[in-house]
Amino acid sequence: MEKLAENKIIEDLLPQKFGKQGQIWVVCLLAVCALGCYAYCRQLYYGLEVTALRDYASWGIYISNFVFFVAISLVGSLITAVLRLTDVHWSTPLTRIAEIIAVSAISFAGLIIIVDMGRPDRFYNLFTHGRLQSPIIWDVIVITTYLFISLLLLYFPLLPDLKIMIGFKERNGKWLQKLYEFLGSFWKNKPEQFKITDKAINILSVTIIPVAFAIHTVTSWLFATTYRPGWDSTNFGAYFISGAFLVGAGGVLIAMYVFRTHYKLEKYITDDHFDKMSKVVVLLALVYLYFNINEFLVPAFKMKKSEEEHLMGLFTGEFSPIFWFAISASMLVPILILIFKKGRKPKWAFFAGILVVVGSWFKRFLIVTPTLLHPFLPMHDVPKSYTTYIPTWEEWAIAGGSLAGALLVITFFARIFPIIPIHETIIETDSHEKA
Amino acid sequence: MRKHKLIPLLILIITFVPSILMAQAVEKNSLLLTLKYYNDNNVTHHLMVLAKSKIDGKFQTVPNIPVKFYISSDADKANLIGTGKTDDRGQAVIEIPPSAKSEWLKSPNQNFVVVGEATKKFDEGRGELAITKAKIKVDTAEGRIIQAKIVALVDTTWTPIAGVDVIVGVKRLGGILNANETQTYPTDSSGAVTAEFKRDSLPGDQKGNIILVASVVDNDNYGNLTSELVVPWGTKSVYMTNFDHRSLFARRGHSPLWLELLAYSIVVAVWSVIIFLLVQIKNLKKLGVE
Repeated sequence: MEKLAENKIIEDLLPQKFGKQGQIWVVCLLAVCALGCYAYCRQLYYGLEVTALRDYASWGIYISNFVFFVAISLVGSLITAVLRLTDVHWSTPLTRIAEIIAVSAISFAGLIIIVDMGRPDRFYNLFTHGRLQSPIIWDVIVITTYLFISLLLLYFPLLPDLKIMIGFKERNGKWLQKLYEFLGSFWKNKPEQFKITDKAINILSVTIIPVAFAIHTVTSWLFATTYRPGWDSTNFGAYFISGAFLVGAGGVLIAMYVFRTHYKLEKYITDDHFDKMSKVVVLLALVYLYFNINEFLVPAFKMKKSEEEHLMGLFTGEFSPIFWFAISASMLVPILILIFKKGRKPKWAFFAGILVVVGSWFKRFLIVTPTLLHPFLPMHDVPKSYTTYIPTWEEWAIAGGSLAGALLVITFFARIFPIIPIHETIIETDSHEKA
Repeated sequence: MRKHKLIPLLILIITFVPSILMAQAVEKNSLLLTLKYYNDNNVTHHLMVLAKSKIDGKFQTVPNIPVKFYISSDADKANLIGTGKTDDRGQAVIEIPPSAKSEWLKSPNQNFVVVGEATKKFDEGRGELAITKAKIKVDTAEGRIIQAKIVALVDTTWTPIAGVDVIVGVKRLGGILNANETQTYPTDSSGAVTAEFKRDSLPGDQKGNIILVASVVDNDNYGNLTSELVVPWGTKSVYMTNFDHRSLFARRGHSPLWLELLAYSIVVAVWSVIIFLLVQIKNLKKLGVE
């Protein structure tokens, strides 16, 4: 009976070939990536002139995208580390989803920074001429570190699953079999091996939390250490981290729904998971809302002359449609949906997740660009194009390409590896039945 | 009937077109050129013209006016000693060239003429200046006393001039600092002024040198005369730089030690954990082989 259940779990959770929908999805993502590559080639050839980035708005949607990627990557530490250390077991089927989102997002965060540099051949200058005093160098160090830790956190729990997958030689095909053997042929399910991996995962869970906090705090310091309206805040570290957890949790809600419906995983990613994850999102949205109130209400109450233009631009000016959309979509509406039991059902939770992620992307744009367009010293004698920022098609294509690239990594990962940990699910099912 | 209708129109055109054209001609502003002469340390001489015009009821400086400088008179083109164009402050400057020496030596008095060319907005302008050749010399006497003497060319003799106001002080960035409480001194019958230097601990250069200055400014007869003298009456300046100091705003490799200690400790600690875990993978492989 037990064996049957185990076989059923393995059969359900083994990676599956792309169906027609999957193939269309991959082709669409590849097409967006190709367009992004073409736009990037144009940017390399003609320089940053093809973008709308100018003297004032020198950071545009590339940096917004970077902050977004860094933010969403924090979900790895939330689901895997925080919930594991607090002995919350319901998150087990979601750990790998969270980790692959983290790995793909942090990889593309690094790439998009190189895109923003305009001259990628000068990237090495960051290492040869970088100053330890600069938050940019801290960001380079901490992103690299976080990527390594996330990869390890993805790899260690994968080892028992690799052993299972190696057993399906015919189903895997030649290349996948070779890959599985390369990664995990040494795994023999020995108790000593489990002891080592358990210890390693615990160490990683402890290590990743401060590193994750550091990565987004340092990213916030890229702004907060610069004296500008809207960035000159002591609140920025906490504000960024709370926002990052929210967007990451929103991303997990979307991924949960997509994988559940596409791979027919209703037994493993249950309504209860959506219910619990939705509650987490509500909590995070409320925390982020609290920080937003602090971030905007206090400066608005004082309305210092130097910040007035920036704040009014957000509240009632040229950025107000995006501002109120971002606040509503990323926080208010998801809270209103998910606070009700019916709203925590998969479809509504999926919809709320989309709102959170899209709203959060625009929120990052609002953090980066309006500040640059409202400097302390008024703009004088500059071309009109310097006073506004409307991204060019090349920028949209590159930003879209990077987002598609991150989704492609997640898609291919789900094709190659089980998106829900097989071994852990078997163990938990066993212990649940025994209990 | 139709011809009849056109007659009043023709009369209107004939009446008003010349007046409109006249009005356009009148709109050109007149140009006021003020010429000044400078004798710099009795070595070089230069002329400066300031172009102004009454615009919107106020005198305003006028940039971009081409100007020609003449010595003695502008009647002879051979007297042209330089050309220029007024800058944003409405000024144009030329040095009196050596080629003007023969004309310069003809008389103890000297005339200069400046002519501003007409432009679309301004009429031609003309300015004149007549000076008596004079020179000033600054010197020192014992007990940190500054002396200056002015002589003017009378016939062929350099003669002391009395009653000329002389500014005596120390050259600083952007102006002349008084040597004591008094800024201006009138010359006595010997053409001399004396001022006591009362500035203690005035920062000088690395050797403690400062520059004493005696200057006559915008004198109706002699123009602007200046003489300078370097004296070691200041305090020595020590060149201070924090270029090599460790600070948060210093260059690469000069970050504060506490920051380096903190940052490298964190990096080493976290990467030690990563390396430890990579070693654990190796141990797992070993266990797998066994």
